[in-house]
Amino acid sequence: MKKILIALAGVLAITTMSVQAADWSVVRLGVDATYPPFESKDANGKLVGFEVELGEAVCKEMGVTCEWVVQDWDGIIPGLLARKYDAIFSSMSINPERAEQVLFTEPYYTTPSGWFAKKSSSYNATDLATLAGARVGVQRGTIQDSYASDKLAGKATIVRYTAADEIVIDLFAGRLDLVLIDVPVGEDLLAGDTRGGDFGLLGSFVLGDGAAAALRKRDTDLADMMNKALRTVKSNGVFDAIRVKYFSYDIKM
Amino acid sequence: MLDLHGYGPAIFMGAVLTIEVAFLSLLVALVLGLLGAVAKLSPYAPLRFIATVYTTVIRGVPDLVLMLLIFYGLQIGMNTLSDWIYERFDYDFFINIDEFVAGVLTIGFIFGAYMSETFRGAFLAVDKGQIEAGIAYGMNKGKVFRRIMFPQMMRHALPGLSNNWLVLLKTTALVSLIGLTDMTRLAKEASASTHEPFVFFVPVAAIYLLITIVSEVGFKAVEKKYSVGVVRG
Repeated sequence: MKKILIALAGVLAITTMSVQAADWSVVRLGVDATYPPFESKDANGKLVGFEVELGEAVCKEMGVTCEWVVQDWDGIIPGLLARKYDAIFSSMSINPERAEQVLFTEPYYTTPSGWFAKKSSSYNATDLATLAGARVGVQRGTIQDSYASDKLAGKATIVRYTAADEIVIDLFAGRLDLVLIDVPVGEDLLAGDTRGGDFGLLGSFVLGDGAAAALRKRDTDLADMMNKALRTVKSNGVFDAIRVKYFSYDIKM
Repeated sequence: MLDLHGYGPAIFMGAVLTIEVAFLSLLVALVLGLLGAVAKLSPYAPLRFIATVYTTVIRGVPDLVLMLLIFYGLQIGMNTLSDWIYERFDYDFFINIDEFVAGVLTIGFIFGAYMSETFRGAFLAVDKGQIEAGIAYGMNKGKVFRRIMFPQMMRHALPGLSNNWLVLLKTTALVSLIGLTDMTRLAKEASASTHEPFVFFVPVAAIYLLITIVSEVGFKAVEKKYSVGVVRG
């Protein structure tokens, strides 16, 4: 019995391990496909969205084959550090806390963050004092979360969610008074629901330093390759051609 | 009827993955559970100590935390080793721990601890006289276990086992955390792209319920088999 177990464990270990060398002929991109219009899955399981197309364009420019690895947001940095993929290409905003763990490329887009609430509400987005006592929804671990935690701690109740769509469900359900999320994501979510008409954007502002790809700190060579490719697609019109498919306004950075 | 916007087949594939992960982890858990129970009842103190540490630590830490620790911790540990080799010997390599195998082993490892306790209780419930009778008939230890202990122990273990199995089944939803797309994760992705969460969680709940009903029927049959010769009531 013992011998059989040891033999089984050995076979298992060998069959599950693959040895790969990092010569960047294949670059694996980690993405959480629950963030339309940036990244989501269609009914056939195919990845679609602005960032997916941009990622493909960057890989083409770098002359490498890209493989997408779908990963839940909560495990996205651990997965990168554990080398399940080589770069996070998933609307990750640059911030100092993350920069301690990962190496960011140059940012490639920025979208304003916006306060969404019932149109009939009396909140004033430019005066945070009017938000006292409100229940504010944010996505956990995002720059909006940091901002709200910083500015509203003790004044309003901050409710943190794992995904943007869950925040909007609770906004519709009346369990939140306001939400602070990316404007295009919020607009997309409101437009996708019949109740969305009662809600609107109270105000928006630019938060953070834009979204970038995140790499492991030791992979400076890959960062150089990506930055070069990003600059090229931003200047040769490829970026804009993809952007107009998803956004009516410029988000380039 | 529910309009799944064409995501039906994808969720079905996710259900297949869920069932695969659940069954294979159950096998791992059963093996570990038996070993753990035997170790806990063993006359050797070191064996008892190891088994006690195993069941205490695993049952005391949330599944979610264990999943992250075992999967990412193991990989990061492996990477530290390969980094060390890279620095010393300039030989760059990467060993990837497969998500599926890691998920099965982690869930199996977690539930092995619960199974150990279930089996331990069941072993203790078997009348000592039965074992003595077996030895008196000249059976060796292996035969006593196979012919006397195991069949009688199973009767006592089955209610606990079926309980553990149902909890295990639902724990498989945690594998999305380590990059596996089970049916819960697929439902999440589908609802994110269509903005209709409940539409996708309803069939997922129904599938879990269906698996539960089927396994209840299965457990009933097994229970009948192991209750042969026992008069009820």
